[in-house]
Amino acid sequence: MTGIHHVMGVDGSYPLLVALWLLPLAGAIACWVLGPQLKTAAGWLAGAVVAASFVLATLSWGAGTQNVAGALGAHQALLSWIPGFDFGLLLDPLSLLWTFVITGVGFLILFYSMGYMEGDRAYARFFAYMSFFVFAMLTLVLSDNFVGLLIGWGLVGLASYFLIGFWFDRPTAVAAARKAFVMNVVGDVAIMFAIFAIVTKLHSTAFGDVFASAGAFGPKLLFVICIALFIGAAAKSAQIPLHTWLPDAMEGPTPVSALIHAATMVTAGVYLIARCAPLWSASHDAALLAGTIGGLTAIAGAILGCVQWDIKRILAYSTMSQIGYMIMGVGVGAYEGGVAHFFTHAFFKAQLFLASGLIIHALANEQDVRKMGGLRKKMPLAFWAILTGVLSICGIPGFSGFFSKDRIIFGTLQHGHPWLYAVGIVTAGLTAYYMFRLLFITFLGRYRGDVDPAELGMRPQPTVTADAAHAAHRTPAWIMGLPVAILMVPTVAIGAALMFGGEDSPWARYFAPQFGAQTLPAPGISEGMTSLIVLLFVIAGFAIAWWRYAAKAAQADAVARLRSESVRMPAVLTNLFYFDAVIDLIFVRTSQLFGTLFERVLDPHVIDGAVREVTLVTRAAGAFVQAAESGLVRAYALILALGAACFIVYYAFAAGGLH
Amino acid sequence: MPVAIGNYIALSAVMFFLGVAGVLLRRNPLVTLMSIELMFNAANLLFMAFARAWLANAGQVFAFLVITVAAAEAAIGLAIVVTTFRDEKNVDVDEIRLMRG
Repeated sequence: MTGIHHVMGVDGSYPLLVALWLLPLAGAIACWVLGPQLKTAAGWLAGAVVAASFVLATLSWGAGTQNVAGALGAHQALLSWIPGFDFGLLLDPLSLLWTFVITGVGFLILFYSMGYMEGDRAYARFFAYMSFFVFAMLTLVLSDNFVGLLIGWGLVGLASYFLIGFWFDRPTAVAAARKAFVMNVVGDVAIMFAIFAIVTKLHSTAFGDVFASAGAFGPKLLFVICIALFIGAAAKSAQIPLHTWLPDAMEGPTPVSALIHAATMVTAGVYLIARCAPLWSASHDAALLAGTIGGLTAIAGAILGCVQWDIKRILAYSTMSQIGYMIMGVGVGAYEGGVAHFFTHAFFKAQLFLASGLIIHALANEQDVRKMGGLRKKMPLAFWAILTGVLSICGIPGFSGFFSKDRIIFGTLQHGHPWLYAVGIVTAGLTAYYMFRLLFITFLGRYRGDVDPAELGMRPQPTVTADAAHAAHRTPAWIMGLPVAILMVPTVAIGAALMFGGEDSPWARYFAPQFGAQTLPAPGISEGMTSLIVLLFVIAGFAIAWWRYAAKAAQADAVARLRSESVRMPAVLTNLFYFDAVIDLIFVRTSQLFGTLFERVLDPHVIDGAVREVTLVTRAAGAFVQAAESGLVRAYALILALGAACFIVYYAFAAGGLH
Repeated sequence: MPVAIGNYIALSAVMFFLGVAGVLLRRNPLVTLMSIELMFNAANLLFMAFARAWLANAGQVFAFLVITVAAAEAAIGLAIVVTTFRDEKNVDVDEIRLMRG
């Protein structure tokens, strides 16, 4: 199959793409090398290179969306390796969208970080990592082949390791970073196996070649490839059962959480499946698997989001749940809907994280919502930002989330998965409950920062030492406020602006050449009816949250209620469905058991034993030879004479005799 | 009347085995060296005898070579004996076992 060479995108020189790709790397290296000299300029530098990438992405609009005789987007060859394994950059509507979000939202987060990370002793290092993260993610989405994608995939994992463990003097942060890295490597290895499987059939890993011959793999091999790719996607996108690193990743600084959740990293799995749409569409089993895992993750994340007290962890589980939606969407074949949810989610989730960062920053690192309360008047910007974010994530009609989420939910029904449809609707209700719970507890009632933690039912925890970032606030407030305010615009309006109008919307027309037109049988329930059902569930969730946290009676004895909720929480939920415990039991304990076995048996008795045997044999042989080395000259002479005698006897009798 | 070759061979053999016996049995290094000289000369005698019997002059040339080597050997051997004697005040080859493993 070496003959075919199908390039996606118009082949030809497009050097701008290389600049777009490498600028954040240059920024990262500059921040890293010149950190001490740059001081606070490191933030501006990193922001500037990412902004420049964003500008280049905007300029590449025409190249990315061009459609010349079926070749979609622009392609820039980089270097040839083994024939058939060429590296290059591909900018088509899908990667262009991701590039916009990575650089655009990434820039806003970097800008915000200049305020949030102020005074941190590793200020420049932080921006070097953030810039590197953007570069890694760009490598992932711009690559035109699976190997390049895997390289980006691994770099993203590395960057997340750096950033989650950024405050490396906290043992919890180091543990979280290690956990994230290890779980991500599981995914990397799976993708590697997918590449192996592809190469067994096809002498190429270029997307174009692979997708052009999706049918040639045969159903079994195709399913294996899809499963391996999906494990990779699940590890990066925090899908069950590889999701446990995501909540722990909250140990990193808040802008890192925003970057991981909104612009980079966790959406990589969605990208991978959307990119591999031709493979997914060809394998019904893979679609079912991805859809089911996505649905399970959506509802499990939502349930766990209902019982969290840490504001960032609530958002982390909401991310897990929303990514579950996206994976469910792209998994079952509703690519455009899943990608749409990625797009809107990037804005509202970045906004939610950055707004929660405003609160955390103002309250000197307090993250427990039970210690908050009554912040609406004190922090109006954070309140409005979180309110609009909540309305958007809940899918209130008119807000961005409404368009994308309903598309996914309806898409599952269109593709013939009524169970996933039901899961999507129930999850929407749960989402409304936990997000409004977050909003009400944080902003309504009375400020509870001065209440004794025990009265709120909080478990005693080691006090986190406030890092230097929060010692003095000298950065003007607008540095952190502006990105949040800017993000509110797309959070509210981008859905209505781009996705309104079904098949005629700009969104649908943008992606029509990418995913192709799908003609699906009209399901029994119309799209409008679906939205109505979802809305009913959302209102129910909102009403329960209102009744429990916002009604007059609830606000009056908030302290007692929060205490009783904390104390009475079922063990299965406080232990997060025992995922950590089970993973610990199956993998960590088993590995430790093997380690102990090797330490006690294999190492001392087999490996060391073999070495000892060799020394014993050598010693015994040495002792034997040593006996001959007597130092007696006459003994040597005797041996010499006997040897000579042997020769004489041999030649005299055995070898022919004397004449 | 020339002496029969067998006599030379017999004499040479006797000389050679006297040398071997001297090397193996005597403990005085000077006697050992002399015994070695005896073996060299047994070989030389054979060279000369066969050269004479077969009219092949190469044997005579070899005898000169052997004499030269024997001289060198004796010089080195005596030097070792003198040096050892200075250190040990003893020249019994069984007592000097510096090469013992």
